[in-house]
Amino acid sequence: MGLIFIRSIIIFIATLCVMRLMGKRQIGEMQPYELVITLIIADLACIPLADHSIPLLYGLVAILSVYLLHQIICLLDLQFPIAKAVVSGAPSIVVNKNGIDDAELKKNNLDVSDLIESLRTEGIFALDAVEYALYEASGSFSALPKKDYETLQTSLPIVIIDEGKFDEKNVELTDRDLGYYREILKKQGYQLKKTLVMTVDGNGKLYMQQKGEKYRVLDLAWKVPLW
Amino acid sequence: MIKTIASIFITLGIIFGLAFYENNRVNDTFREFENVLTILYDKTESGDVTYEDGLATEEFWENKKNTLHIWLPHTAILEIDYQLYEAVGYLYVRDYKSALPKIEILLGMCENIPQSYRFSIENVL
Repeated sequence: MGLIFIRSIIIFIATLCVMRLMGKRQIGEMQPYELVITLIIADLACIPLADHSIPLLYGLVAILSVYLLHQIICLLDLQFPIAKAVVSGAPSIVVNKNGIDDAELKKNNLDVSDLIESLRTEGIFALDAVEYALYEASGSFSALPKKDYETLQTSLPIVIIDEGKFDEKNVELTDRDLGYYREILKKQGYQLKKTLVMTVDGNGKLYMQQKGEKYRVLDLAWKVPLW
Repeated sequence: MIKTIASIFITLGIIFGLAFYENNRVNDTFREFENVLTILYDKTESGDVTYEDGLATEEFWENKKNTLHIWLPHTAILEIDYQLYEAVGYLYVRDYKSALPKIEILLGMCENIPQSYRFSIENVL
């Protein structure tokens, strides 16, 4: 029983570390340790059920060990904020007043397209319409739109450059060629490789941001709205 | 919070209690069985053994193994059953030379099985 207890603790800690290293991408609405408990308990309960040669006590002691760890983590969570940050992680602010925080995204194994997808689920389509956005420790997404955000998103923006690469299909949709956007980059003193994101909406409003810099919004003054 | 702390201590108590009891129970049972097997081995080696000695050893094991099922994987117990029945079978036909290696295997198992439940890095890993 003692061995099962120690083994359960080792498996629990190892699984929790892996979950924490995977970042918020792998977590749903649960805290990392809650997800680990759910994963482990499901399996532990099955082992003595499926294999009659294993004493039932083995499963029960392993489940008790996981329960014990859960209670200890709950206690640490309540008493020590540092322990909470280590075990559950902290919220990650991925959009701030300067635009997208690339380093925070990378830290959580996320990219710009994941962020845009999360923003869309919150009803925000234009990157310049966001004041702040963050991934909670549980992996859920929260965004604070700007006061006048509805006026900022009059047309659906599409991604032209994502992490230094052109999305050629979307470039075609704008009835312009790559040279047109390269010229914009050149005028703004941007390098394609360092460009984190460039989006353009149907009215010609362009959002661009270079890694580690504040975002810029340009009006391309298209005569006819494209969509 | 008091409820959480209490639940931690109660769970720790149950786990450590079970671990301690398991350790003692498995060790004691196998130590007793080893003593019985050693007597059987000595008698077999000297040729003084009877089939009834084998049956007595078998009966001793049958009584002990019921509680061991709670603590040990049933396959480990089945392996002992298998070796013991074979050894007693050889005693029945008075084939003592064949019975001796079987009893030796059982003596080895009596040493190895409790060792596999001790706190040690190789057992944890």
